[in-house]
Amino acid sequence: MSLSSKEAAASLSEAEIAGRRSAQLYGYRKASPHLVMWGIIWVLGYGGTDLLHDYTNLIWTMLVAGGLLAGTYLNWRASKCTTEAERTPRAWRMLALGLIAVFFVFATYAIMWPVHGRQLAAYPALITGSVYAAVGLWAGMRYVLAGILVVALTLFGFYYVEHILLWMAFVGGGSMILAGLWFRTV
Amino acid sequence: MEQPDPIIHQPIRLKIMAALKPLPASDPIEFVRLKAMVGTTEGNLGAHITTLEEAGYVAVQKDFVAKRPRTRVSLTKNGRRAFEDYLDYLRAIIGTNEPAA
Repeated sequence: MSLSSKEAAASLSEAEIAGRRSAQLYGYRKASPHLVMWGIIWVLGYGGTDLLHDYTNLIWTMLVAGGLLAGTYLNWRASKCTTEAERTPRAWRMLALGLIAVFFVFATYAIMWPVHGRQLAAYPALITGSVYAAVGLWAGMRYVLAGILVVALTLFGFYYVEHILLWMAFVGGGSMILAGLWFRTV
Repeated sequence: MEQPDPIIHQPIRLKIMAALKPLPASDPIEFVRLKAMVGTTEGNLGAHITTLEEAGYVAVQKDFVAKRPRTRVSLTKNGRRAFEDYLDYLRAIIGTNEPAA
């Protein structure tokens, strides 16, 4: 049995397509718990900030720190494919990425100060949505749609909703949770 | 490799191997998900999985979740190597040594 160059190219292309699709669906399933978790963090963070203004810093510090640690654990657990030696660096890289994102948001606040409350509320959500949309250009259309949804809802809330914190808690956080559940359906 | 591996050199089995390749061996994929990915019937997929299992290319795990049977499939070390060899064989024919994405 021998193959022509055309047949070989066709088989190779089919294998590449199937492999890419499989990797994409696997990525969705692994991202799902992260989206649900950060959706819950938004609900608690924005909702808590609306109810307990004086404790805003404490609420968000605890939630973001908890989210980063929980996310690191999820990544560590998900990277069973690798050897023990590779697993920890990957999880740490994801934690470092989260810390860089937090640093970026606060650094932006610092150089743009003074900013008002609505800007403080909307900015991290805009960053999050934009990052999801950008990641989706490589990782899959569902990321793009989830990112666009979060950005659109955030902008709508910023310009048209008086109680933006409650809007971000239930509509922003809720849409993150729904997106996470949607990712699980692949 | 002078000839293509006859176990892998079949369109459905090629798709199965390609779909399993990016997944970790310790995190097997459920049969129903694999069926959707490969786009074939349950019986057809089952027959090809059996062929691959007998060749030692895939591992099949069966258990129960909430009293419902669950079948999961993953690529073995031998299967991963055989698939890489098969891809190398294809690349050699078309005259490129670049690995597939």
